[in-house]
Amino acid sequence: MKKRVVVTGLGVVSAVGNSLPEFWNSLIEGRDGTKEITVFDPSAYRTKIAAEVIHLDTEAHFSKKEIRRLSRCDQFGLIAFREAWKSARLNQNSHDNERVGVVLGAGSGGILSVEKYFRDYYQGAKKSSPSLLISYSLATTTDHIAIESGLKGPRTTTATVCSSSSASIGVAYDMIQMGLADVMVTGGSDSLCEVSYSGFSSLRLVDPENCKPFDKRRQGLVIGEGAGILIIEELEHALKRGVPVHAEFLGYGICADAYHLTAPEPNGEGVERVIRIALSHAGVSPEEVDTINAHGTATPFNDIAETRGIKRVFGERAKAIPISGIKSMVGHCLGSAGGIEAAAAVMTLETGIIPPTIHYEVPDPLCDLNYTPNQSIKKNVRVALSNSFAFGGNNVCLVFGKYLNCK
Amino acid sequence: MNHRVVITGLGMVSSIGVGREAFWENCLRGVSGIKPIQGFDVSSYRSRLGAQLPEIDFKAFIKPANLRRMDRIGKVVVSAVRLAIDDSGLNLKEEDSGRMGISIGTGLGSSDTVDQFFRSLLKEGPLGAAPLLFQTAVPNAITSHCAIEYGIKGVNITFSHKESSTEMAMTFAYHLLKEGRAEVLFAGGGDELSEPLYHVYSMLRALSPGRGKGTEGMRPFDQDRNGMVLGEGSGILVLETLEHANKRGAKVYAEMAGAGLSGSTDGLLRYDLKGDSIARSMTLAANDLQTVDYISAAANSTPDLDGGEARAIKKVFGKQAKELSISSLKSMLGEFDGSGGIRACGLALSLFHGIIPPTIGTEHLDPRCDLNLVLGQPKKKEIRSALLNGCSNGGSNISLWFKTYREGNTNK
Repeated sequence: MKKRVVVTGLGVVSAVGNSLPEFWNSLIEGRDGTKEITVFDPSAYRTKIAAEVIHLDTEAHFSKKEIRRLSRCDQFGLIAFREAWKSARLNQNSHDNERVGVVLGAGSGGILSVEKYFRDYYQGAKKSSPSLLISYSLATTTDHIAIESGLKGPRTTTATVCSSSSASIGVAYDMIQMGLADVMVTGGSDSLCEVSYSGFSSLRLVDPENCKPFDKRRQGLVIGEGAGILIIEELEHALKRGVPVHAEFLGYGICADAYHLTAPEPNGEGVERVIRIALSHAGVSPEEVDTINAHGTATPFNDIAETRGIKRVFGERAKAIPISGIKSMVGHCLGSAGGIEAAAAVMTLETGIIPPTIHYEVPDPLCDLNYTPNQSIKKNVRVALSNSFAFGGNNVCLVFGKYLNCK
Repeated sequence: MNHRVVITGLGMVSSIGVGREAFWENCLRGVSGIKPIQGFDVSSYRSRLGAQLPEIDFKAFIKPANLRRMDRIGKVVVSAVRLAIDDSGLNLKEEDSGRMGISIGTGLGSSDTVDQFFRSLLKEGPLGAAPLLFQTAVPNAITSHCAIEYGIKGVNITFSHKESSTEMAMTFAYHLLKEGRAEVLFAGGGDELSEPLYHVYSMLRALSPGRGKGTEGMRPFDQDRNGMVLGEGSGILVLETLEHANKRGAKVYAEMAGAGLSGSTDGLLRYDLKGDSIARSMTLAANDLQTVDYISAAANSTPDLDGGEARAIKKVFGKQAKELSISSLKSMLGEFDGSGGIRACGLALSLFHGIIPPTIGTEHLDPRCDLNLVLGQPKKKEIRSALLNGCSNGGSNISLWFKTYREGNTNK
């Protein structure tokens, strides 16, 4: 018997808001977080923009000593975690800490700190500080969160980059199914760094202007950063604590294109398969799906493959399903993209508002679905999907449902 | 409706042997893979040693067209999968590719490629950064290579959580098979010993001889242990549901019967000092602790982990602890985040043959770690069930429980 798992807490740090309410308001108002990069000097790059997190008052959250020890990725993760933890009404006495675990997804992790070290080291400019190397492991943010709150349940980190934090939510769900935890902290955190920025740039996958998913003029992604943390919980445990439930996590799918290291399988066959696996795992029929939070990177090939995959699953009805491409606002946050987008999908279920895909002006005949252009819409949503696809054709699809007392 | 999960194929690319037979022979002989580092200059470090892979002719394992796109660790992991497939007798053409999957644990995938890419960025500027390096620099590239090489279209996931990465990959695979969400999963992991990785470990003072005096070396549970020696390699297991294995008449090495996970919170670079968390993960993994005859330890020659693990074993097993045989294969292979795959292959062979490989390097057993460590010679012993521990600094502790396979015994 599958246990029912619900979302009881959310926390977000993003280019369009450093808390869940700010983030959500920006999304439904269609605000773009893209701006000129300040985290590093972008002058030598072909493109100079990113969806960077700004106005983050780190000193309100951390001591000076902590700030020195924490990477930017750790800071985002911890701030979003604290918001999610509080919103789930968790505190020292609310749970058995051996039954609360952490599974996060990682992308670049704390590489921004590691870059700083190796830049100094290789250029011999000055003595590099070895403490920057604590962030070498992708597990660092996950461990920080567990250690800060004394969480002694299962702990791991997924490392599939662009789909990492969607995969992490699936793995966290399975930790509850395995009977190893009542509550899991999941999602992901990631920060801008030169390695990933120059990597995507070298592959010519970055749009110089803004991110225009599914629009004919799209030229690629805008890299973003931030954290999206979810608290998921076994339903009985949540009911016993008497906490509000945002939505139910019904299941997920994970599979591979087995096609190419960077390009998606062009016909959407991998996308179709992962959605079908997810629906079957969740026990949901395609007819029940009311909205899809797309991967929607705005790279020329991804958006076509995703569109084709959706049509292969939903047939004629595909055009009636509103699709959101929120990367147009928050950018592609790599290791935290899935967590941030899952938070948006959960808010859609809770509020009945579907955020738009902005910068959508020129339709592409190869992307002919309803992408919720430029304006958010209201709709009673029973089931929402959230797609994430990564390099190497690593596909994940999450299925969230409106929380109903009976099922 | 739980499925039984069995191990039907083993593939290892290790510093003490490539392929099951070579590996096992050297493992039982207690051959050490640890030697002075070759290939980069370590004269500025306090440490000199590493367990590096021998030169390998990857053309023997990988299609030439795909070989070109892979970096070294990609080739190593794809080769280990090839060896595992061949060992299992699977005919991939006859399998449902969507019901096959891969679950890999790794520290960073290619730490060397990341470094090369970064140096190209420093030297040439962003416009000169090499795109071909970037696509293999992501940690999941090694897993994607395998999926592409073998047409594996089901589950595809990569875990990176320090020294428990691979144990997690196997846990996930086990769970999915048990629930019938896949039929055949390749599970395991791998890592490479690169110069930047060596540098980082050295700067973080994680390597033997560390801060302490004494000689450099790997000596788990020894009173003079003073840190780890890095290793590299890859080990892949073919895990499949028993129904599927029986249908194709596969040889079964052992049964995978449980996984326990727990966290410790002693600090970001600290292991489970008291052993409470390791004790909990062992208890959660094995629902019949009394049948445990052997533990393949996580002990990596660091003062903290070996002490914590010994304490945990005594805590969980009490008087039985003295009868249990303990061995740490890391004494031969060195430590690396993806080591769990090779160590699990070794454990499966121990269950299958009833022989436990020795721990080498340990001369003066720490009185606080007074366990029944298999030393010097391999030990013949009928093993009913065994645990494999994976413990990371920072505090993710995982135990996997394996049983000698017997037809008809139920997996309650």
